[in-house]
Amino acid sequence: MTLEAVLVVAAALVGIGVYGALSQQSFVMLMMGLELMINGAILALVALWSASAGGNPQGQMLGVVFMTVMAVEMALGFALVTNVYRVRRADITEKLRRLKG
Amino acid sequence: MNDLLADAIFWAFAAGSVTTGLRVFRTDSMMRAAFYLLASFAGVGGILVLLGAEFLGMVLILMMAGEMLIMAIVMVMFMMNPAGLNPMWMVHQHRVAVAAGAGSFVLLASLPFLVKFPDRPAPQPEEATAELGTELLGDSMLVFQTAGVALLSTMIGAVVIANRSGRFGVAEEGSQEPTVEPGAGDQR
Amino acid sequence: MSEYAAAGVAIAAVGAALLAGVYFVAVFDRLIGALVEGRPLQWSRLLAEPVQSSALMAVQQRRTTERPDAPAWALAPALFAGLAAVALAMVPLDRDLVATDPATGFVVFSAAIAMVMIAVYLHGWSPNSAFALHGAYRYGAQALSFQIPFLLAMLATVLPAESLSIVEIVNAQESLWNVVRQPAGLPLYLVVGVAVSFWGPLNLPDGSDLAGGTSVEDSGLSRLLWKAARAAMLVSVAAMGAAAFLGGWWGPWLAGPVWVVLKTVALLGVLLASGHLLARVRIEQFVLVSWVVLIPLALLNVFVSGAFLL
Repeated sequence: MTLEAVLVVAAALVGIGVYGALSQQSFVMLMMGLELMINGAILALVALWSASAGGNPQGQMLGVVFMTVMAVEMALGFALVTNVYRVRRADITEKLRRLKG
Repeated sequence: MNDLLADAIFWAFAAGSVTTGLRVFRTDSMMRAAFYLLASFAGVGGILVLLGAEFLGMVLILMMAGEMLIMAIVMVMFMMNPAGLNPMWMVHQHRVAVAAGAGSFVLLASLPFLVKFPDRPAPQPEEATAELGTELLGDSMLVFQTAGVALLSTMIGAVVIANRSGRFGVAEEGSQEPTVEPGAGDQR
Repeated sequence: MSEYAAAGVAIAAVGAALLAGVYFVAVFDRLIGALVEGRPLQWSRLLAEPVQSSALMAVQQRRTTERPDAPAWALAPALFAGLAAVALAMVPLDRDLVATDPATGFVVFSAAIAMVMIAVYLHGWSPNSAFALHGAYRYGAQALSFQIPFLLAMLATVLPAESLSIVEIVNAQESLWNVVRQPAGLPLYLVVGVAVSFWGPLNLPDGSDLAGGTSVEDSGLSRLLWKAARAAMLVSVAAMGAAAFLGGWWGPWLAGPVWVVLKTVALLGVLLASGHLLARVRIEQFVLVSWVVLIPLALLNVFVSGAFLL
């Protein structure tokens, strides 16, 4: 379990997340892509904390902040999905075209 | 625990996490997608525990269990085809997305081989948990409090946004988006 | 090699304890039922009936539904039982007699309880059946409501111990048990404990008004496994309650492990009696009470016990 191996796994998760966030039409599936990206970021962060930060607790602290970001993203995302559905009856991104150039 | 066993467990978690992560976007049912995502997170939680961040790993699993249940409920509320009885393929700009995903993977995966990270391993896990606790309520108190306030304001904001009686009257009577093509009719 | 042998012994011990606990719950539940209804006790029947009905269920023919999610359906009871085992593995029988004592024992136990909602939801969703899905949604509402009071009630026990390890939590109760120190803690925990394994008054997901709820389509071996997993979860919740609130191994005269078992049996008695004495609660009432009464009460409990420790 070398640092490189963990970072490659984290990169794979971020890559899958990028693919999902860009390709999915449904709002919730899009959010799953974002979640996977944050997942990979947390993994990379903890790997670096564990292998090359000498156990500085601020590394774990940053992990806690990442999880807060994830919770905020989910809560606001679900609220927006609910609102968009109520106002526009839209459940996929294609139905929101007002800001499209 | 010897290194060989730790390696085997790590690769099992890593393989499981990446495969289930891929399956999220390759399954016919959004419900299954939510559970695959949860499995992916559980795998990452296991790797975090292996890396010594016991608290973070377990909290990740704890948090994700609730989050995925909410996600499943939201899906059934709003989305088409939650049960997965029909094939589902709801994608756009697929080639661009695949290229972007593969590109970012190659870019990020090559970084650890190009950069030399310092070799300073962390101490034992039990100390790490206690250290995190001291850090949370010690030097990083302000960060911790800010995260708490951010979560509180998120809760208030989410309730306001998702409320049925919206800012400009009842949300259901709200703006219907005008169509781009004249005479195309709305897609309600 | 002894390290692996010890791990194997610990895993086997947890499994054996769970099996014994499941059988005990089945007998104890029938015993309490007979006592409450004033029926005469027939010990031989009482002891044999769980084994007989289990054997019957094990050999019964299994039926299936139209297009179920078969892997998830098979996974759900196993996941539930596994989570019960994880929760029970954290409970110490004595200061040095515990299957595992991670530094984050409290978080591991909470994560196991949180994953139960995934197991129940999978179980209700996978058979592709309307009543089962209804049951799954009920458990979703129930679980999202009891999660926060549960975490807060358990969190208060962590304060005097100044550690997340369960052994330390028990150790800190030498002079004063948490049930005295935090009077609101144990009642809150018991309400939540009934809700976690949806027993008795809070048996909404598998309730008879839904013809069996999430397990309406179960038959044969998977029905047996699901029932056993629910009973196992009840045992784990009672054992953890004994450790976190009733002082675990601390007690006069008797040896530590005996005290743990006695306290677990006492809490199991309370949990099981609720099924025979209390009427079933409707889901919206439970959700309302959870958010409006239990969460503020649990918060108050944390604040007061924190203030006493200052």
